[in-house]
Amino acid sequence: MESPGYKSAQLDAVFGALSDPTRRAILARLAKGEASVNELAKPFPISQPAISRHLKVLERAGLVDRKADEQRRLASLNAENLRLASGWLEYFATFWPKNFDQLDGLLSDLKKEPNHD
Amino acid sequence: MTDLPEYVIDRVFDAPRKLVWKAWTTPDLLARWYGPGVDTIIHKFELKPGGLWLNEMKWGDKSDLSRMEFVAVEPETQLVWLHSSADANWNVAPNQMMPDWPRTLRITVDFRDMGDKAGVRLSKVPVDASEAEIACFVQAMSNLDKGWGSGFAMLADILAELQA
Repeated sequence: MESPGYKSAQLDAVFGALSDPTRRAILARLAKGEASVNELAKPFPISQPAISRHLKVLERAGLVDRKADEQRRLASLNAENLRLASGWLEYFATFWPKNFDQLDGLLSDLKKEPNHD
Repeated sequence: MTDLPEYVIDRVFDAPRKLVWKAWTTPDLLARWYGPGVDTIIHKFELKPGGLWLNEMKWGDKSDLSRMEFVAVEPETQLVWLHSSADANWNVAPNQMMPDWPRTLRITVDFRDMGDKAGVRLSKVPVDASEAEIACFVQAMSNLDKGWGSGFAMLADILAELQA
């Protein structure tokens, strides 16, 4: 069995990073391909330094990689970390609700079999 | 211990309480709904205080084992168990995805009549948890409270786009 071993400190950083709509929008943009701060700032009514700060938060959470050796410092999505975090969050938040949906389905089947109730 | 974080979920099922209890405590039926979108294999199911429910959830080539120990079994009224991640020998083990996730949670399920329907309340609290485990659980709970629904939907879209 694989053990991704996602440390909770990392996960906390991910939770924090994803709690902001601008940062989520940045991730959505980066899902389409790498981009410079300039390009990322365009759709938002906030300054480039503000975008840079958001990028730093995403970088610390391991969700975004930056190329350090280039003038434009292109940012790109780290999809693997995003997938890990999202998988765990989804599992935690939806385990019982999904189970209950399935129980709902089973109960309606069982009610059709008179020997069950 | 009263200030421990607690996860609570309420649900009303359109079925008699008796039938909901049966679906929950009959291994063949339980395996049909427990475990979202996975194959559930129940290796042991001893429905009595101190009895074990050894559960395997399989998807693809992966397997997730849980060891549950019943604490209280009040027919059609209440079911309480200690819920832990398990290793291949069914010993209590850290969660694979989250090392700081509480090793053991106490799950309490209360069943009650609501007219001709059944109300179920499930709650879980960490048991004998370290500070790190409690912090991890609190963090996860508070993120849920912040309305993660929209965040999930967006992440799902991003990931779907990446796979396209």
